[in-house]
Amino acid sequence: MWEQQFSKFDGGAASRTILPQKTIQNFFHETLIFAHQREPSQSVPPSRNRRSSTSPQLFSVFEMPRKPRRKQRPKSWPVTFSPFARALARMASVSKPNRRSKSIESSEKPTRSSTSNGSSKHTLEERPEGSESSDGEFDGVVQADFAFFDPKPNDFHGVKTLLQTYLDVEEWDLSGFADLILEQTTVGTVVKVEDDEDEGVFALATALNLWRYREQRCIMKLKEFLLLKASQEKGVGDQLRLLLGERAHNVGLLVSQRVVNLPPQLLPHLYDSLFNEVSWATEDEPTEDLRNSFQFKHYIILSKIYKHKNAEQQKRKRSDDREEEIVYVKPEDEIFHELSSWSFCFPLRTQQPAPHELKNYRSMGLIMTVEADKIPTFRQQLTSLINEG
Amino acid sequence: MATRLQFENNCDIGVFSKLTNGYCMVAIGGSESFYSVFESELGGVIPVVKTSIAGTRIVGRLCAGNKNGLLLPHTTTDQELQHLRNSLPDQVVVQRIEEKLSALGNCIACNDHVALTHTDLDRETEEIIVDVLGVEVFRQTIAGNILVGSFCALSNRGGLVHPHTSIEDLDELSTLLQVPLVAGTVNRGSEVIAAGMIVNDRTSFCGSDTTATELSVIESVFKLRDSQPSVIVDEMRKSLIDSYV
Repeated sequence: MWEQQFSKFDGGAASRTILPQKTIQNFFHETLIFAHQREPSQSVPPSRNRRSSTSPQLFSVFEMPRKPRRKQRPKSWPVTFSPFARALARMASVSKPNRRSKSIESSEKPTRSSTSNGSSKHTLEERPEGSESSDGEFDGVVQADFAFFDPKPNDFHGVKTLLQTYLDVEEWDLSGFADLILEQTTVGTVVKVEDDEDEGVFALATALNLWRYREQRCIMKLKEFLLLKASQEKGVGDQLRLLLGERAHNVGLLVSQRVVNLPPQLLPHLYDSLFNEVSWATEDEPTEDLRNSFQFKHYIILSKIYKHKNAEQQKRKRSDDREEEIVYVKPEDEIFHELSSWSFCFPLRTQQPAPHELKNYRSMGLIMTVEADKIPTFRQQLTSLINEG
Repeated sequence: MATRLQFENNCDIGVFSKLTNGYCMVAIGGSESFYSVFESELGGVIPVVKTSIAGTRIVGRLCAGNKNGLLLPHTTTDQELQHLRNSLPDQVVVQRIEEKLSALGNCIACNDHVALTHTDLDRETEEIIVDVLGVEVFRQTIAGNILVGSFCALSNRGGLVHPHTSIEDLDELSTLLQVPLVAGTVNRGSEVIAAGMIVNDRTSFCGSDTTATELSVIESVFKLRDSQPSVIVDEMRKSLIDSYV
């Protein structure tokens, strides 16, 4: 199943299977916005069902200028791994930031009063030129519409696949953990492609209160795992024990997993939607216990990074330091790491063959904790990181 | 009886193992608990062999076999071939074949009498299958899928196929294979039957996500229950049948 996930991004041949080819794309795009965009003046009922999982409504936050770009040829073709990633890199270099921010202002801002019931739709256009498609009609323009959904029981297999290596090679109740995430529909987002029959899950983001779920086998095993890894580090072990024990009432496990080359433009929206849901849940949940359970003061994050094998990199005299000490698999981890109260790394037992560029690096697990009041800073920094990258 | 287990948090145990009436092959790596489940169920009755194929752990999907023989892809190394020849019973003919479709487990579904194969398999390979495995070969598709080895699990007593197989297809396949067939799922709705479970005439193993319903279907179609299923029906006949016409 993991192979299946990867293959969806592997060039034009596979992208055919998931992305419907819309030849009249402009027309479709405009009608879609027209049909689904909510008017700002519309009054919204006080109880907000953020998203109904059966029929997500859409609003286009992210419009890419379409017509002019059909004739444009990008000036530089960055070398990346797959045609899909190449196309996205090209798109990122060609897109005009001004126009994008204007379109965001003009369309609905995801504020509390006007957010519709439904998922946010992010339209990204790619041009996988030189794709391996043998389809004669394939004119090189493929549309990927990512939509954000509430977790549904149907997403079990996709979510489980994304979490396969969450605790390295530990045998634990992974199915239980996936079920836990899917049951919490108030806070949690699953990213899928719009109108995809396969309903493949491309990304997942959620926050789980460690006290609320303390009785679950999977959470107990997860805590054991974290404490075991922390026991080898001086100092952090006690802090971690506090967070997982007495202070667990206000501690959220931030789970964020995705396919490797998910477009980074989605990330600010993904995290915005997650943290918005957390703050809405503190008001909307039916019982006081549940409301309080989302008043997170700390977030624990378990992630993966690549660390340079030679620790003496710092002594490099050359100013153009090409090799960084840490390469972050997920861009937001860099920001979290900077803002974290404490963090530590541990070696991973699964060593996947690294791509050529990372041959001097070793993959390591990273555990860090971030205070909840640093989140607004995080959101700002993430937006500027993605916009400039 | 069907046993539930997993391989390193992965419920696709049919990928990492191969079970026949004469032997069982298990991938190296993974924890000892995976191997020990097989040992405890099968130990003494049939040999449980730890191996890799072409240096990989996906042994279940790369090879095809039954009690008469085992077919290996051309990517199998000499050491692996020798190891298998040494470890398996003498009556099992181990053969490495030159076939461009090297995932033989995905292309061939077989029991001790009959085999279903991928429609594009070489003629030569088909002949080798007849010779080595001692079966009759039929080129078929299952629910429109050519990877017959992936979408069906077959034993001498029954078979489980892709859930979207039509009734006509089920009838046709059942006639060819001469065993009762059922269309169903494994591992909580997964359609890739052969990846999720392995079976022989006496026992079966499924991924740990398999629900109780799926498990009961498996036990019923492969006749793995200790009691005969007809006994239950006979006892209940009076309450089931309202009136005779």
